[in-house]
Amino acid sequence: MRLTGFRLLVASSLLLATLARAETRPHYGATLRMAMRAAPTSLDPAQPDWMASRNLFPLVFDTLITFDQRGRLQPALATSWGAEAGNQRWQISLRQGVTFQDGTAVTSDAVAASLRAANPSWKVVASNNVVAIERDSPAPDLPAELALPRNSIVKRDGGKIIGTGPFAISQWDPGRKLVLTAREDYWGGRPFLDAIEIELGRSLREQLIAFDLGKAQIIEVAPELAHSAAAQGRRIESSFPIELIALVFSHDPQSPDDARQRDALSLSIDRKLLNTVLVQEAGEPTGGLLPNWMTGYGVVFPTAMNLTLAQQERAEIARAPQWNLGFDANDPPERVIAERIVLNARESGLRVQLANGATADLRLVRISLASLEPHVALRELTSALGLPQPKLSGDSIDDLYAAESALLQSKRVIPLLHLRSVVAVSELVKGWSERPDGAWPLADVWLSAEKP
Amino acid sequence: MLRITDNPVYNARILSMFLFSRAACLIALLTILFLASPAMASPWQASEIQLARKISAVTGPGAITLDVVNLSSLRKADVEEIRLGLLNELDSLGLHSVSSDQAAATMRIILSETLQDYVWVAEIRQGNSEPSVIMVTMSRPDKAILERPASALALHKALIWTDDNRILDVALPVSNPAQMIVLEPESILLYVLQSGHWQQESSLTIAHPRPWPRDLRGRLVLRKDHLFDAYLPGVLCRSTATAPLGINCRESDDPWPLSPDRSTLSAFFAPTRNFFTGALSPGIQKQTTTARFYSAAPLPRDKYTLWVFATVDGQVHWLDGMTDQAAGNLGWGSDIVSVRSGCGSGWQILATEKGAGPHDTLTAFDVADREPVVVSPPMEFSGGISALWADADSATAIVVVQNSETGKYEAYRISPTCGQ
Repeated sequence: MRLTGFRLLVASSLLLATLARAETRPHYGATLRMAMRAAPTSLDPAQPDWMASRNLFPLVFDTLITFDQRGRLQPALATSWGAEAGNQRWQISLRQGVTFQDGTAVTSDAVAASLRAANPSWKVVASNNVVAIERDSPAPDLPAELALPRNSIVKRDGGKIIGTGPFAISQWDPGRKLVLTAREDYWGGRPFLDAIEIELGRSLREQLIAFDLGKAQIIEVAPELAHSAAAQGRRIESSFPIELIALVFSHDPQSPDDARQRDALSLSIDRKLLNTVLVQEAGEPTGGLLPNWMTGYGVVFPTAMNLTLAQQERAEIARAPQWNLGFDANDPPERVIAERIVLNARESGLRVQLANGATADLRLVRISLASLEPHVALRELTSALGLPQPKLSGDSIDDLYAAESALLQSKRVIPLLHLRSVVAVSELVKGWSERPDGAWPLADVWLSAEKP
Repeated sequence: MLRITDNPVYNARILSMFLFSRAACLIALLTILFLASPAMASPWQASEIQLARKISAVTGPGAITLDVVNLSSLRKADVEEIRLGLLNELDSLGLHSVSSDQAAATMRIILSETLQDYVWVAEIRQGNSEPSVIMVTMSRPDKAILERPASALALHKALIWTDDNRILDVALPVSNPAQMIVLEPESILLYVLQSGHWQQESSLTIAHPRPWPRDLRGRLVLRKDHLFDAYLPGVLCRSTATAPLGINCRESDDPWPLSPDRSTLSAFFAPTRNFFTGALSPGIQKQTTTARFYSAAPLPRDKYTLWVFATVDGQVHWLDGMTDQAAGNLGWGSDIVSVRSGCGSGWQILATEKGAGPHDTLTAFDVADREPVVVSPPMEFSGGISALWADADSATAIVVVQNSETGKYEAYRISPTCGQ
């Protein structure tokens, strides 16, 4: 699998798009209107399904540490951090002079309370301007964990959620609408925009209509429609392939034949066709859980369809039961991918039928990677997929490879594709940059007064 | 906009300048050769040794066959260099390359990369056993910067400083030993040239009571009675006049000088934004205000100075002390500066270009009777320009670029020379 020209183009456009350009300096003011499919009913980053709203959190909340464009850790509410020998106990120094949106100061007590709420198993102690975190076991990746949106620093005041982020909540209609206002006193500098209005729970079709009518300047686009949306003259921005599409079995293999049947299914799937035809090259075929751009070794996991070998594997199985494949019937790409998998399986003599999720032996899942740090991303991914936690014995790339290989060897999951996340952005929007992980750094965006 | 070929071409002014230029080129070439000599050792050698040792630990000595696949941004020449280097290292460990039918082990070396690192993966197959996978990583270096050849009035750029932090301005006072002052958002750094390298002499923290605005801007102005003043939104930092060097920062709405010559024009900068308010001090003759602007540049004439303003609304305004004339949209970006080249009318405007490609460009314009004429090809940079200020003598300009590949800030000194 070589880097395609398109992929390189996407990668370079991502990096280039991040820059504040002097061709025209950013303008302060204006309201940005956007829409998204997710319809969160809570803005609490510690909620269990925080991934669905992950792009909203950085607007209202800050984490202690964050990632830059190249996946390097950068200070945010923390100014420095360090671990004692063994990486089990960490000391985090906090930025001075930061306030929550209600004007109260961010203290080490407030930070400790927030982290404890999100991570009940952590022992968090506040003293002066420092927070100490003690874990049950060595945690060399703790700084990257602190960059996860669910570890945003939050003040919970009764039922109210208050953050330190660049925007303050001025209107919150759960599941329907969120209006944010720029904070003049934001520690990282007041955002260029005055306000952001986000319509929630809007279908992709509704979003596209709003975009074409000029009622929204940023909308989500189905990855498989990215090419056609661009061909129709819309400005399309893509992330790195960040969303895993995989088959996940409900339990471990129950016998050697069960394991062999899973191997046969994996060998029978034409991932290349899934990518080129069904999702219109919006992703990359994968044999690994983490994308190659994150690990560099992803290409060693085979992705090629091998029908002959699949049929051989099938022939060695005495009795191959029929499997029920669950998928989200409301997601058109999931449906066509699931149907194609049924056909591929049939070609190797396997019986797979589509079913609803409740009775499925295996299900088709789409899940975005939570972190740019591969060790943390793998842990979060397995947790979200309901797989056993990876056995990471260290923080080297060899340890990561061994842990990911062991997960694949468990045969609980068959990775298929990594998809990009795609948005359509109005030409009026300047300074837009979607980071490799698909986050929206809207504090750096500004609206041009001039029509392109 | 006029094409380059339609534009006037300047002649070199004086022969001695030309000879000096030739001598400078020779010295520069020798310097480059001298500096390049230590780099003759392959940058890949350490990783080649590391990977070869790991391979050897798996296979032991013997006959091998090796295939190298490049999935990274490495150039073809680098890939070949790595392949040869790796074969050499393996050979020294007793792993000899043979044809595939004679090999006891076959290996595929995949040259891959992540956001930060190169990752070299070796897949080793011995007999019918499962392949072994081993890997090494190394940081990806910054990309080299290419410069276009110039014609007509030529702009030359010299990289003077690179930093992970945002560079707001750089000043190079005339001193012996040479000094360099770098203005960053939270500190002012003083460097001294020692043995051909800039050594940091002091780092002075900038005290500011309020958070900085986004698209932070700042300007260093060299002084005669003390080393420098640093102008930042709502804050003025003044260096001490005596050693050891220190700074005193205070909240201030003092106007910022719009040119290195302190006696000319200053303007008030919005303390929570990224532009000048339009209020001028003391004014251009009777004119004390103009539209809000991002940058301004003087063009000295015989009896007056024509001031050019790049305003927030994307226009260009000419102010001569009597009239404020909007020139409309010239296609210029937000940042302009004037430099004294001695070519043509003597001064040129260097302007960023609106709607440029992925990388910002800088183009020189001669302004005869308020009609800008392109006099240089656009100089392309490796990213977006975040600062453009006139240097202390107005003969050169300082431009700061955020490199789109590395994310680092690079400060260049831009100097114009007359064309051939």
